Amino acid sequence: MGPVFVDTTGRRSKALRRLGLFLGAVCLAYAGVLAAAFMGWGTSLNPSSLLPFGASAEGGRAPGGMRPEGGIGRRAELPDTVRPTASPPASTTRSASASAGAN
Amino acid sequence: MTTLTSSRGRRRAPTRIERAAGRAAALQRPRVILALLLLLALTCAMLLDGYLRAEVGGDQRVRSGADSSEVPDTILDGGPILTFRGGQATTVSVPAKTIALTFDDGPNPTWTPQVLEILRKYDVPGTFFLVGSMVTRYPGIVRTMVEQGNEVGVHTFTHVDLSYQSASRVDREMEQTQLALAGAAGITTTLFRAPYSSETDAIDNYSWPVYERLGKDGYTSVFVDTDSDDWKRPGVSDIVKWATPKGTQGASVLFHDAGGERSQTIAALPEYIEKMKAKGYTFTTISGVMAHRRTAGAGTTAGPSLQAAHHRATGPTLYEGKALIAAVAVAEWTVPTLSVGLAIVGAAVLARFGMMLLLARRHHRQRNRRRFGWGPAVTGPVSVIVPAYNEKECIANTLRSLARSTHPIEIIVVDDGSTDGTSRIARDAAGSLGMTNVRVIRQENAGKPAALNNGVRNASYGIVVMMDGDTVFEPDTVRELVQPFADPSVGAVAGNAKVGNRTTVIGAWQHIEYVMGFNLDRRMYDLLRCMPTIPGAIGAFRRDAVLAAGGMSEDTLAEDTDITIAMHRAGWRVVYQEHARAWTEAPGSLRQLWSQRYRWSYGTMQALWKHRGCLTDRGPSGRFGRVGMPLVVIFQVVTPLFAPLIDVFTVYSMIFVDFRAALLAWLAVLGVQLLCAAYAFRLDREKYRYLLMMPLQQLAYRQIMYLVLIHSCVTALTGGRLRWQKLKRTGEVGTPAGAG
Repeated sequence: MGPVFVDTTGRRSKALRRLGLFLGAVCLAYAGVLAAAFMGWGTSLNPSSLLPFGASAEGGRAPGGMRPEGGIGRRAELPDTVRPTASPPASTTRSASASAGAN
Repeated sequence: MTTLTSSRGRRRAPTRIERAAGRAAALQRPRVILALLLLLALTCAMLLDGYLRAEVGGDQRVRSGADSSEVPDTILDGGPILTFRGGQATTVSVPAKTIALTFDDGPNPTWTPQVLEILRKYDVPGTFFLVGSMVTRYPGIVRTMVEQGNEVGVHTFTHVDLSYQSASRVDREMEQTQLALAGAAGITTTLFRAPYSSETDAIDNYSWPVYERLGKDGYTSVFVDTDSDDWKRPGVSDIVKWATPKGTQGASVLFHDAGGERSQTIAALPEYIEKMKAKGYTFTTISGVMAHRRTAGAGTTAGPSLQAAHHRATGPTLYEGKALIAAVAVAEWTVPTLSVGLAIVGAAVLARFGMMLLLARRHHRQRNRRRFGWGPAVTGPVSVIVPAYNEKECIANTLRSLARSTHPIEIIVVDDGSTDGTSRIARDAAGSLGMTNVRVIRQENAGKPAALNNGVRNASYGIVVMMDGDTVFEPDTVRELVQPFADPSVGAVAGNAKVGNRTTVIGAWQHIEYVMGFNLDRRMYDLLRCMPTIPGAIGAFRRDAVLAAGGMSEDTLAEDTDITIAMHRAGWRVVYQEHARAWTEAPGSLRQLWSQRYRWSYGTMQALWKHRGCLTDRGPSGRFGRVGMPLVVIFQVVTPLFAPLIDVFTVYSMIFVDFRAALLAWLAVLGVQLLCAAYAFRLDREKYRYLLMMPLQQLAYRQIMYLVLIHSCVTALTGGRLRWQKLKRTGEVGTPAGAG
């Protein structure tokens, strides 16, 4: 019986070296993915791609639909209205008053 | 691993050292890099896990009661959907007789599927504002949610109050959540709801800039009209009541499908839907509300417009999202697994300490009882074998100490091809001491096992004592050591090796280790009858038993462990004799210590592997396989392999979780160890002051020890050859005056 553990062929150490290389690469990739995900690298989430309600919805929009509607005298700003935000709205009762009270 | 101090290494063959050093360097650099990469990945996984559980970067602050003077009144009084088309803030309200169900804080593995099932049953869509971290943990739920026709929005990644966060943190929170959505369901979304937000009139001066900025980025911020306050768990009827808008008003209604126990939500939801349906309400998503706005109720709100806020994720976003989900899955699996593993290891280590204290006490009492005896006193002469390779500094001291032996001995110095005149010095010393019982045998350099075998063959007596050439015995040592042989079942005896050079830090550390190892471990192993190692520095054997085992083997680097296990397997009892003290010189430098321990741990593993057959044996060999092997494997191989993880977890919890608690836990473990060490010191009547080194030992020595073990494990795996590396000796160790 020769010395315990000793690998004379070198096959084992070669296989292990490959395994180590693979493991190292996996670890590095793992750290890389997390770093990229955390810092937001490489993603194309720039604001312009996030326009609310994409072109499809816009295309289907009928011009006649651009009037305020719905409920109880609530003023609804249109998405692309010309009215500035600062203009005072028609004073309304808050529909959420019930729940506001509950708060 | 550059320069071994080979300029002074006069007792070493330089070429061999250089070769070994070269090999070590070649082996170690990739290993170190791999170890660092593994550490990096583990740290990443732990940080990710901590981030997902809000241990890392978590921020519990919630602003309330702030002024809203800078928020336009139109917004404060406007509808719940806030957009910034063309840079101008506009609000949209929900049409009459319409309900936009919104659910916050999900997904949750318990409640969200139940909510989805209710929505499916009533064929009602909902809008879910998802917490990104939860999305990464439960991506399947989100996929189902989207496939079922529900709309999703961003509720930040970690549910923080964004008004406290920097712009870059806000951006990261949004992007990370989008990435999570991309990975989970293949979409991104333009909907957003801020954590801790409610009605629009609750927008304050601090949160308003956040909405403004996100709105300019293209996000639609969604608020609520009616808040079910289901998180307060007020009871089903109150939830339904509070969620119901006045008259026929439309409403964006807030429920929670996560963040706590939500059974009341689950109970209230069907009731609420039925009630509102009965009142003639219809249900839609936020996009549905927007589309309704645009089409003026043209009745074409069905189909994809309910999810108009969704965008298909493509390219890098999609792949990175999927990678993130996978990375989270790995972390979610890794960290708890490791935690459980560490808990088991911790419990095992504590149990071991307990068992050691118990058995050490029993051993001490049993062996020191007044009437205790091994049998008739052993008085016959024994052979002392001193293998020596380049021991010119120590051999004279060793012989001098043996000259004072109170037991009749013959001394066989086996000079293993020394090049420094060890034989001559030994002969001169014996002559000047007037010793007639010394024989010096020279042999070609063949290694310590061969030298020992040579000595055993030349021994004249039935009991052989083996010691190192750098070890010093007390006068009583041999007599004490051989007494257990009065018991015919005892085949070998381990003595008590003491560190002589304990004035340095390294020496003191090893002193603590030796005292604990001999007074706790060996006493325990003695009583359990499975002592794995008789120290090379001091041990005694029955000559016949050694010869029957085939002598010392060169198969392993730890021939002492090898022969001890062989003795057990042959059915001999191996005992520990605490009163037989030998003073040995411990490695004085870290490098020496490293190579000594490297050889020990590698050799121990070799010996264990060599004797693996005992696991399936019957009789005494099988007994060792069932008791000794597991103990040694668990506590000398497996536990140390977990040790770096313990350190990583400790540091992690100190930095990110709870410094005080982690520190206290660490101190508690240190306390237990100190207690054990103090007991060991008491049993050996050692001075307690060395224990002061113990906290420091935990911060440096321990790490070296486990690094050595890992290193030798890897060497064992790779099948690399490890040679004897002799320690450099200074010969400073002598029997302390008055000792013994």
